[in-house]
Amino acid sequence: MIVPIGPIHPALKEPIRLKLQTEGERVVKAEIEYGYVHRGIEKIIEGQTWQKGIYLSERVCGICSYEHTQTFAETIEQISDVDVPLRAQFLRVITNELDRIQSHLLGNSTFFKSMDHETLFMRVLELREYAMDSIELLTGNRVNMGWNVVGGVRMDADERYFKPILENLNKIEEEFERTRALFAEGPALALRCKGIGLMTKKEAIKGRAVGPIGRASGVKEDYRKGHYTYDDHFDFKVIRRSEGDNYARTLTRFDEIPESISLIRQAIENIPDGEVRTPVDLKSGYAMRKNEAPRGEVTYMIETNGNLIKNISIRTPSIPNMDSCAKYMIRDVPTVADAVATYATSDPCVACAERVAITNEHGKTSIKDFYEVI
Amino acid sequence: MLDAIRDVVRKSSIHVCIVNCGGCNGCDVECVALLSPRYDLEQYGIYVHNNPREADVLLLTGAVTEQWVDNLKRIYDKAPEPKIAVAVGNCPVSGDVFNQEGGHVHAPASNFIPVAAEIPGCPPRPSEILEAILAVGPQAIADRGRERQ
Amino acid sequence: MSSLIWYIYDFARKAWTDAFADAKTSPEIAEKPERFRDFPKVNKEYCIGCGACTVSCPSPNAIKIVREKDDETGEGLTYPVITPGACIRCGFCAEVCPTEPKTLECGLNHLILPEFNIIPSKRQYIIDDYLCIKCKKCMKKCPVGAISLVDGKMFVDQLKCISCGECLEVCPVNGAMKGVFVDNLQDQKDLILLCVNYLEDYINNKEEDLRALEKDGLLQYEVPLADFWDEAIKIIPDDEVALEIITNAVNRLKIRIIDWDKDKCKKCQLCIPDCPTKCISFDEKEDTIVRDKNRCLRCSICYQTCPFSVIKYFIAKFSLEDDKIIYTTVKASNLNEDIFME
Repeated sequence: MIVPIGPIHPALKEPIRLKLQTEGERVVKAEIEYGYVHRGIEKIIEGQTWQKGIYLSERVCGICSYEHTQTFAETIEQISDVDVPLRAQFLRVITNELDRIQSHLLGNSTFFKSMDHETLFMRVLELREYAMDSIELLTGNRVNMGWNVVGGVRMDADERYFKPILENLNKIEEEFERTRALFAEGPALALRCKGIGLMTKKEAIKGRAVGPIGRASGVKEDYRKGHYTYDDHFDFKVIRRSEGDNYARTLTRFDEIPESISLIRQAIENIPDGEVRTPVDLKSGYAMRKNEAPRGEVTYMIETNGNLIKNISIRTPSIPNMDSCAKYMIRDVPTVADAVATYATSDPCVACAERVAITNEHGKTSIKDFYEVI
Repeated sequence: MLDAIRDVVRKSSIHVCIVNCGGCNGCDVECVALLSPRYDLEQYGIYVHNNPREADVLLLTGAVTEQWVDNLKRIYDKAPEPKIAVAVGNCPVSGDVFNQEGGHVHAPASNFIPVAAEIPGCPPRPSEILEAILAVGPQAIADRGRERQ
Repeated sequence: MSSLIWYIYDFARKAWTDAFADAKTSPEIAEKPERFRDFPKVNKEYCIGCGACTVSCPSPNAIKIVREKDDETGEGLTYPVITPGACIRCGFCAEVCPTEPKTLECGLNHLILPEFNIIPSKRQYIIDDYLCIKCKKCMKKCPVGAISLVDGKMFVDQLKCISCGECLEVCPVNGAMKGVFVDNLQDQKDLILLCVNYLEDYINNKEEDLRALEKDGLLQYEVPLADFWDEAIKIIPDDEVALEIITNAVNRLKIRIIDWDKDKCKKCQLCIPDCPTKCISFDEKEDTIVRDKNRCLRCSICYQTCPFSVIKYFIAKFSLEDDKIIYTTVKASNLNEDIFME
């Protein structure tokens, strides 16, 4: 029997259609149908200037919106051969890590909600508000920040802003250990998570899973290693686990938060003086950049003609993650409820994933045969 | 007498369904942030559970994409009377940045279903959403309930 | 068992219950931090109506510039109006606003420095040095001081330019100051091609008039622009841009037209080998000479070669003013007058 879930359903936060093939209570196979959120952002950006394009790229995804603008800006800086001032690079790291903290906390809280554990859901969301406060304090907006520009960041920050951020981080750390223990060692949740939604390392590589989802299965890949700012000035360790189940994925996201906090502390301690923005004269050319968004690797390929963006292509982490979730994770899951929870731990972001629309010969758009085309 | 009691109940217990008809998730995460202990939406008698069949208020987010042109009307019809739809964020109000050449959206949402209130912002802060829902929601539902009789 | 007790105890912790008891209500949660970018604030009286904000805005419906009615005290104010339903609160309009003090204010602590005022305009202003008479009217008119005299040549600083177009209005020489559209070159070419093709077909269809034309005579037509306006709008959907491109193209346009009366042709085939593009050929079935219009260069060699002066050569000029009618003048060429034979 096939159980269809979505596009609007109490278990889902975003419009998508999950088709679960069941045998009794057991879920044998899953299929994901895309196509509810395609807006054609790449087509809109074509022929625009970068000043407008950067605000559009921000709206690819509302949860990890920051990393999209940073990758967009870095790609154009690479085309134009501009070196960003070091102070701006440090400010970018601070914002990036704050964004990662809030995204991971949101991802986990969604998982707890789908497991119907209201306490942890509320507690994690409460922690997230501190990260959101810091972001709003620093950049001026909570979600779509408008903080990056090509050549640096928009505003300078000083002690006035760093002090409340550090205070907020302390508050997160205080509560964080207990919250993590409540999940990791508490009997209620861990038993339901261990061994559910297994994805081995081989499958993760085959399905091209990236970010915390890949790292929970043992894939060693973090594009912050290899990024010029992180390589030269920061010290952090890549969190990896080997189990590859729901428990591991949730804990990987939890464990990355202290790393991010320590990165922000390092950045605030060592931030150099100087300019935060440099004028950019856009050259014509092509460049490609990869960065580590909260969900994994984001790739931007941009071609410019000296004034305008000629062509842009965006690859987001949610595409391989959701695909490997449907292919490998929800393959032999005991109950339908667990299948939905497994889907939630893959931290899906539908708005990210919908990058293609296929128009058939009658002019009708459908995105149903997405993977058949690829 | 019965109407008065009904009005009180309608005003104080509102079930909300978030309908994301093709947005960037920004407004949705702000709606989720409303559930947190900081804002605590439930203290006002508002309960979010994403089921259109039990909803009094549909929170629309997102510019209406191709697939939602038909489905939005269907979802609206499934919600029981009295119901209102509130547009959260710029997308359902005007189409935001997507409503230009190359975009694949059919904004505004009011072309498809009646929208009772609009909350501008991209995305609006949780406090702005809360303010707007409290200002318009309870009274609108009570009014609409009386209208239907 | 102990872990279970600890687990239950954790729910009742003080900090946790405090957080719920402290849940803030209406007034306190509305607090916005100092840097929060709200909808832009408009100071009407400073606006110079340059339109930089509308051009720079990423959201298409967010900013409109309106002008109040004139009254006895003077001209009405021009100022931007923000539509909250479309504004994305990015603050970019405040960043590009060139007035001092700012007309648009959005948030605190913005890096508003002159070198970052790059306005994403479709139009780039260029001075043609050959035509420029260095009257410096544009330099005096420019509200942001973007035009200056560098090495004896007038120069527009693209970083400072706000694309207001006032220099274009004051320039006394037609064509010295140019507002060039830079982003849709291929569409512009298509539009000009459409316009030229239409006009040429129009004149070619007036065969009888052409053949009856005296040596020194003139033919005059009024071609309404509306005839091909629908197609033009399909290529470039912006009315203003399309009209300007067509006007610029038509006013400089000179079309050469080759035409002959097939009945008078003696089929000597002398023009065939002389044609540089080999576009004239002899059709044996129909027993006529045919010219391939798409390959013809309108070089007039056939006209000069024809020993019977059957091939005629005309020159057409056009002018398009505000009334959207293309005034067309066709005149016979007087090349080769000496060997003109009848």
